[in-house]
Amino acid sequence: MLKTLKRKAGSLALATTLGLGVSTGIATGASAVELTMYYPVAVGGPLTNIVDGLVEDFEKENPDITVNAIYAGNYNDARIKALAALKSGEPAQTSVMFSIDTYELIEQGAIVAFDDVVETKEEKEWLNSFYPALMENGQTQGKTWGIPFQRSTIVMYYNKDAFRAAGLDPETPPATWDDLISAGKKLTKDGQWGAMIPSTGYPYWMFGALSMQNDQVLMNSDGNETYFDAPATIEALEFWKDLGTKHGIMPEGTIEWGTLRQNFLEGKTAMMWHSTGNLSVVKKNAKFDFGVAMLPAQKRRGTPTGGGNFYIFEKTSAEERKATMKLIRFLTEPKRTAEWSMKTGYLGTKPAAYATTEMKQYVADFPPAAVARDQLEFATAELSTYQNGRVRKLLDDAIQAALTGSKTPKEALEGAQKQADRLLKRYR
Amino acid sequence: MSAIELQGVSKIWGETTAVNNVSFSIDQGTFAVLLGPSGCGKSTSLRMISGLEEISKGSLFIGGEDATIASPADRNLSMVFQNYALFPHLNVEENILFGLKVRNTPKQLQKERLKKVAEQVGLEQLLDRKPAQLSGGQRQRVALARAIIAENPICLMDEPLSNLDAKLRHIMRVEIRALQQRLGMTVIYVTHDQAEAMSMADKVILMCDGKVEQEGTPEELYNKPATTFAAAFIGTPPMNLIDPVACGLDKKISQNQQDNFLIGIRPEDIVLSNENGLKAELISADYLGADTVVTAKIQDQEILVRTPGKVTITKPTSTRLQWPVKSVHVFDKSTGKRNDNIEVLPI
Amino acid sequence: MKHASTKHQLYGWLLLLPATLFLLAFTYYPTLATLAKSFFSQGTAIRPAAFVGLENYTFMLEDDVFWQVAWNNVIYALFTIPISIALALMMAIWVNSRLKFKSLARMSFFLPTMLPMIAVANIWLFFYTPEIGLIDQVASVFGIESHNWLGDPDTVLGCIIVITIWKEAGFFMIFYLAALQTLSPELEEAARLEGASRWYYFRRIMFPLLMPTTLFVLINAVINSFKLVDHLFILTKGGPDNASSLLLYYIYEVAFSFLDQAYASTLTVILLAVLAIIAIGQFVFLDKKVHYQ
Repeated sequence: MLKTLKRKAGSLALATTLGLGVSTGIATGASAVELTMYYPVAVGGPLTNIVDGLVEDFEKENPDITVNAIYAGNYNDARIKALAALKSGEPAQTSVMFSIDTYELIEQGAIVAFDDVVETKEEKEWLNSFYPALMENGQTQGKTWGIPFQRSTIVMYYNKDAFRAAGLDPETPPATWDDLISAGKKLTKDGQWGAMIPSTGYPYWMFGALSMQNDQVLMNSDGNETYFDAPATIEALEFWKDLGTKHGIMPEGTIEWGTLRQNFLEGKTAMMWHSTGNLSVVKKNAKFDFGVAMLPAQKRRGTPTGGGNFYIFEKTSAEERKATMKLIRFLTEPKRTAEWSMKTGYLGTKPAAYATTEMKQYVADFPPAAVARDQLEFATAELSTYQNGRVRKLLDDAIQAALTGSKTPKEALEGAQKQADRLLKRYR
Repeated sequence: MSAIELQGVSKIWGETTAVNNVSFSIDQGTFAVLLGPSGCGKSTSLRMISGLEEISKGSLFIGGEDATIASPADRNLSMVFQNYALFPHLNVEENILFGLKVRNTPKQLQKERLKKVAEQVGLEQLLDRKPAQLSGGQRQRVALARAIIAENPICLMDEPLSNLDAKLRHIMRVEIRALQQRLGMTVIYVTHDQAEAMSMADKVILMCDGKVEQEGTPEELYNKPATTFAAAFIGTPPMNLIDPVACGLDKKISQNQQDNFLIGIRPEDIVLSNENGLKAELISADYLGADTVVTAKIQDQEILVRTPGKVTITKPTSTRLQWPVKSVHVFDKSTGKRNDNIEVLPI
Repeated sequence: MKHASTKHQLYGWLLLLPATLFLLAFTYYPTLATLAKSFFSQGTAIRPAAFVGLENYTFMLEDDVFWQVAWNNVIYALFTIPISIALALMMAIWVNSRLKFKSLARMSFFLPTMLPMIAVANIWLFFYTPEIGLIDQVASVFGIESHNWLGDPDTVLGCIIVITIWKEAGFFMIFYLAALQTLSPELEEAARLEGASRWYYFRRIMFPLLMPTTLFVLINAVINSFKLVDHLFILTKGGPDNASSLLLYYIYEVAFSFLDQAYASTLTVILLAVLAIIAIGQFVFLDKKVHYQ
């Protein structure tokens, strides 16, 4: 019996080897390039279809290149899966990942800079065709590591009907912090808050807007220093907290990211700060007249960008890099960028996209679509450093501690800064 | 004064009537047996007496007091269950003392009673065993001990011996009966085994289809069955019930409408004879040791005969059957009731 | 003779082989690898992993977040375990009695168990939402002011505990229900005849007889109190300010958000040790008190 077992095991091993041999044989025999792309989709459905459609178009134009798009949950999942695949030797050439993952990916030695991949003059020009604000998160050490694709910013959605009911002009949304407070006070009544800024999920992101408006960035461009305890940063957090405790136009405590949109749609808040990514859903579901505005200013206007960039992995052959570049350039052509933006609500990542006739027409019919673009002028990078997960969490915890009243904004941010310094010291 | 009295008690579940207008009374110190085939309502009656089942209609008196709606615990009675209902996680001592502990009986009294009861049922050596470590008979004794330790005047037993083998069953019958007499308890004992009823009871209450068929001493039930059901239920083998017309016995009954009656004769009252009597054919024999039960046939009518010694029948044999006139019972065919007004002539 | 027995033994080992291989590959190897990893620093492309001895452990002792999530987990366990077990027992006794809508009641108690935890969390997210949530809407009928349940560090852990109990009690009820149906009704009748109250019967007879089930359920509840963190992903992500974070969720964060597998391994070793101690304790000390039939 033992003998049979052994023989069976032997033939099994043989079959496996043969199987591998056969499949590699086919791959090389066709002399085609096969690309694997990881793509984050938190919710399936339309986004998946749109990406699939774009990939199909690309394959039609480039018959010698096949693209396998692998959908991998949210940004976190996509990063974990892509890195795990690379570690285990699975081939993957490119991925859309969080724009703020740049430092982490560099530290892991996972990605190459686009500067080392581009060759022709034309390609170098392409590298400069995007909005500079969207490039910030992907640039460090004087090089570009990520190309903006699925990008968003924060905008302010407001209920025009509620504005009218409170005697406010629906066409002039609050443009400053003081305006926000005075309008909020008029709008707050039984069953309706003046404004809501979400503080779960991505509190650091919302806070990036507030600190920017107070003319203070949260980190340097090398990603090895944070400015959590700068006076302007502390002021920004105090302002956020005061919206609830002092001015009473926002609920106290933290505000849930996931249910905020529903609150707005049900008229429980007259204003909300949220990602541009919600635009198409709000447009579809709002039973009232709504408007989209840039975030208000204190010392200046400001918002962080957000969303996903294209990265090219380090473990790729020259041939594969060439094919990947083709793919990324194809997907970021102005026409396609415009189409993508109209279908999803994400930003058009370059001025040329807004110059297309289709996009011009769309913006004319639906002006809110242009707000995010116009705001890009004031936009800045999203919080991104080495040890990004930890540093981000330090700030998230500090914000929540301050909003829930367990620490003062000053205590919370100073504590976070101290710990961030400890983490980032060795990267300086 | 009777220890227990039922007046027109019924148990109704929706459409079905399990016990139908039952009345009987049991005197103090009596060993009463509720006898009947399964589904006759005897267990339900017992459970109504215990209070585990509500009485739908009628009244129950215990010791002269109305106990129709009293809670089980207030009826001053104990019960032995068919499957003993021993608490498997408690040892023998804790099982026996369970009721006393519930009632917060003083520790000293508990100890005294336990000693007495354990002796009475022969469990002194097994007090710290768990039920799983006991044999069937021993478990039965624990159940008994738990029932008698409260010294309640009334003890109910629901087929307590049905899980034991024949030999042990016999021993326990004797013991339970002896215990009952020594303690002077009133016992109501449910069984479907007529032999058990005959051997133990002071009084048998025979039930059928939710009604009392006949009540009386074992002798009364045996000698004067009130109905064909009682006649056929009591005795091993049961009484032969013969259609007189079919057997050519119509001339032996002094009445004009002979086909309105059935006559009953116990197998042990019939004698096999070569000369006089009714012509019959012997079909088979069932040898029991001291005697043999012979199956005879008169035309299509089977008749069992109990005859002393061993009889062997290899092929159908002609014979004659004889019986004394006084052992003939007559029943109305339509009602099944006993009719003593009919004169029977000798064969 | 000797030959036959060797062959017999070999046969036995061969039968065990597949299971052994799986255990080795998916249980013992990862456990040992985790233990080993906890003594190394987290390697990156620039800085390879190096042996650091107990450094990860000392870091852990100084990590405020670790102490907070550990404390949260203790509270979480102290509330979810006894309450869900007690509730399960009560529900089981209730649906085991003569009840008109018995199957409906059983099903509705069991329903939460069949739902995936993520779905459950999504449902409860909208229960807890201030203003528009079910709880606040019901409360507003009675004039109670809206409360930010998940946004308040004082209530958030309680909210998480309630969901866990809601989810678990129905599951444990099934085990109790199965156990109750093996109890002979004669036992209760015997006790009733002796004048035992329902409470006395429960305390002295039913509960002791259910001990094997209770032990089983208890072990499950303890494991779940460390294991069940799915709802955190949807509801709070551990916030606000770690007020609702639990040990396993923190391990996930450290491993996959901070990408610090060395420290995550350290925390995992601690979690494993705690679970092992609890399991040993339960089997050694409680087993003696359990009556098995």
